[in-house]
Amino acid sequence: MFDIGSFRASTCQGIGRRSFLKWGASIPAGLMLGSPRVLHAAPAAKAKSVIFVWLWGAPSHIDTFDPKPKAPSQYRGPFATIATQQPGVHYSELLPRLAARSDRFSLIRSHVTSQPGHPDAGTVGLTGFEERPEPVQPNFGAIVGKHRGHQGSLPPFAMIGRGIPRDVVRKIDGYGGGKFGKGADPFMVSCADDGTVEIPSLQLLEGLTPNRISDRHEIRSRLDATLRQLDRAGMSEWDRTYQRAYGLIASPQSRAAFDLTQESQATRDSYGQTTFGQSCLLARRLVEAEVPYIQVNWSEYVECMTPNCDFGWDTHIYNFELLQDTHCPIFDRAFSALLDDLQSRGLLDSTLVVAMGEFGRSPRITNRAARDHWSRCYFSLWSGGGVQPGRVIGSSDKYAEDPLTTAITPKMVGTTICDLAGVDTQARAELKVLEGGTVIQELL
Amino acid sequence: MTKPAQQSGPRGPRDERVFPATKREYSSLLSMSVQFPRRKRDVCLFRRGSVPRLTHCSPFVLLVLSLHACLVQGAEPVRLTTDGHAKRDPVFSSPQETELLYVLLEKPNQLRLMKRSLVDATTVPLHPGETRSEFEPAVSRDGHFLAFVQSRGNLSLALVIVDIMNNRTYDVPPGGGFSGLRSPAFTPDQQRVLFSYPEEGRQQIYSVDVQGKDRKTLIDSQGVNNWPHFSREGSSFVFSSSRDDDFEIYAADANGENARRLTTSPGQDIRPRFSPDGSRIAFTSNRDGNYEVYVMRSDGSDLVRITNHPEQDDYPIWTANGKQLVLLSERNGSFDFYRYEIP
Repeated sequence: MFDIGSFRASTCQGIGRRSFLKWGASIPAGLMLGSPRVLHAAPAAKAKSVIFVWLWGAPSHIDTFDPKPKAPSQYRGPFATIATQQPGVHYSELLPRLAARSDRFSLIRSHVTSQPGHPDAGTVGLTGFEERPEPVQPNFGAIVGKHRGHQGSLPPFAMIGRGIPRDVVRKIDGYGGGKFGKGADPFMVSCADDGTVEIPSLQLLEGLTPNRISDRHEIRSRLDATLRQLDRAGMSEWDRTYQRAYGLIASPQSRAAFDLTQESQATRDSYGQTTFGQSCLLARRLVEAEVPYIQVNWSEYVECMTPNCDFGWDTHIYNFELLQDTHCPIFDRAFSALLDDLQSRGLLDSTLVVAMGEFGRSPRITNRAARDHWSRCYFSLWSGGGVQPGRVIGSSDKYAEDPLTTAITPKMVGTTICDLAGVDTQARAELKVLEGGTVIQELL
Repeated sequence: MTKPAQQSGPRGPRDERVFPATKREYSSLLSMSVQFPRRKRDVCLFRRGSVPRLTHCSPFVLLVLSLHACLVQGAEPVRLTTDGHAKRDPVFSSPQETELLYVLLEKPNQLRLMKRSLVDATTVPLHPGETRSEFEPAVSRDGHFLAFVQSRGNLSLALVIVDIMNNRTYDVPPGGGFSGLRSPAFTPDQQRVLFSYPEEGRQQIYSVDVQGKDRKTLIDSQGVNNWPHFSREGSSFVFSSSRDDDFEIYAADANGENARRLTTSPGQDIRPRFSPDGSRIAFTSNRDGNYEVYVMRSDGSDLVRITNHPEQDDYPIWTANGKQLVLLSERNGSFDFYRYEIP
C-alpha cells in the first residue's frame, strides 16, 4: 500500500516522513507502471472477473440459507422459512429478495473448515491453507491477479472495505499476497454509505476530487508542496514513486472506475444507502473496468454492531436481533441488486460472484441466547462465471451441525474460483499454489 | 411456518413523486396529484435524489408545496429527516415533542445519538465528543431521565441511565465475556428501567431502579424476550417474545405476571408501543413478507396496517395526542423518519 491521497477529503492534513516512507516502501507491484505484468492472457477463463464477497465474522447458516424449521426450538431460532424458486428449497424469512432470485445462483450447504477462530479460519477461507507452516499462501485474488496481470493502470486485485479484516487480536494473515510478497497485496479501496470512495493509497493528496485529479498542474503543485515537507534524502525515491502513482490517478479509466457519481440515482438506490451496498456497486464498476478480482469485505467496520472492534457477522450476542435488524436486510438488498445489475448489463455470465464467510455459527443456541463459532458446517453462494445457477449442493444433518454429503473445503473453493478465472491446473502448478485442490464439479 | 417468497425484483414506475424544481413543474405536479391513483398509503413527498434541488426553489414554491402537502394530500406522511443515512430508535426527548432523539449510523463504526429539532429542522449530536457507540435511547415520561445502551468494547453493552435534572449518570454494566443489555424502557412513574438481557440460554426482561440497582426479573421464559414498553397508566407493559416460536407480541401485568399473547401470525411481530391512552399498540411485522407497521387494539383485536411498501417500515412511536406515528421508512434504499396520521 502507499499513501498519497483521497477522492474524498476536503481538508489537507499534511504528511509526515513516516507515511511517505511507508508509501515508498510498500507500493503494490501490481500498480507499478512499466513493470512486467501479464503472465497469461487467460483465454480459457469463463470468469473474466471475480467478485468475492467476504462475509467476515461468519454468518449464521441456520438462520439464513440452511434453516431447520423442524429442529427443536433451542436450535431453529425464531425465524420462519420462505419458499424459493426451487421447489422444496427454503431460506430464512430474512432473505426475501434472494429467495425470489434463487434461480440465479447456486447454494452450497456442506462447507467445512479446519479452524474455529476468526484470523486462522480467515486465512484458510481466503487461501485454502492454514497459516502454519509458513509461508502463508496467497489469497485467491492474489493468485488470479498474478496470473492475469493488470489491465491498463488498474490493479489486478482490489479489496473493497475499511482495511484488512481483523479481529481484536490481529489481522488475517492470508489477506493478500502471502508468499508472493507484498507486491501481490490487494489494492485497498473503501466506500461510504453515500457512495464516497476513499482510496487510502491516495491520502497524501487529500482535497483532490476526481475532477481536480485530472488537472496535472493541481497534482503537481500539491505534490511539490508535499515535497517541501520531506527530507532531501527521500527525493529520488519520491520522484520514482510519484511517477507510478500518477499513472494510476491520471488515467481517466482508473478515475472513472472509482467514481460512483457516474451511476444513476436509481442504480445507487437499488443497492441501498449502506456501506456494504455501495461497496457492491463499486465492485460492479470495477468489473466493467476489467479488474480481474475484487474482494468485497463486509468488514472492517461495516454496519457496526458493537463498534470499536471488527466483528462483522460475529453474533455472539443478540444474533437474532442483529440478523433481523441490520445484517440480513442489508445483505439481501445489496447482493440481490448486484446480481440484478450484473445480469441486466450482460456481465453475469462473465463474472463469477461468490459470497461466504470463514465458518458458520453454532446451531444450538448458546447461553447468551445467540450463536457462537461453528467450523463444521456453513454455506456459500455462487453465481455467474460458468457456474450453473439454481442448484443446491450438499446438505447438512437435521440440526445443521455437520454435512451429510461430501464436505467442501476452502481449498476446493479457491481451486474452483481460480479455475473458472483461467488459472487452470497447469498454471496453478507453475505458480505452486492450491496444490492438491479440486474443482467443485457440482457447480459446473 | 412456510410462506411464499416476496417477489421483489425490479419494479416498475414508483408511486413516489419528485420534488419539482420550477413553478412549471410544480403546476404539473398539482394537476397530476389529484389524478394519481393512490395504490399505496405511504407515498413519499420527496425522492432522495431530488432533495438537493430544494436549494434551487424559491420560498414561494416551498410555501405552496407545503400547503399542497397538507391540504391536497391530507393524510400522507410528512418526512421529518432527509439525509437518508441509516438510522433507528426514534423517541421524543420531551413531552412537548419538539425534538426527536434518534440513532444515526454516523460512520461504519459509530452509532451516535442525535437530536433533531422539529421546529427548525436542525440536527446536532447529543454527545458530540463521544467515541463509543450509543443507541436505543429511552426518555422518561417528563423528560427527567434518559437511558441508552453504550458500547463498552468487544461485544459488551452497558445500560446508561442519566438523571438529567440532577446531572447524574448511573451505569448498569454488562456481565463478563460477550454480554450486553438492550432495549431500555422507563416505567411511567419514572422509578424503574426495564431492559432485555441474555443469560442461561434465554433472553429475559429485567428492571432496575433509576440508580441502576435493585435488579428484578420481570419476564423469564424460553426464547428471546425483548422490546418492553409500558402503558402510560402503568398497569401493564408489552414486549415481544419468541417463546412460542417466532416473535409475537405479548402483554404482562406491571409485575411481569399474567403474560398473554396478543398476536398470532407467521413472521416476526416486534417493537410494540402502547398508544398514550393505552388503547392501542403499534408494532412492526413482516407477516406480509417485509417489515410494515401495524396498529391493533391493546387486546390484539382490530388490526390495521399503517404502511404498505416493498421496503422497510419500522420503529414506530406514538405522538402524545395518539393520532400520529413517527416511524422509520426505507425508500429507494435510504432511511428517513416520517410522521403518519393514524385512522
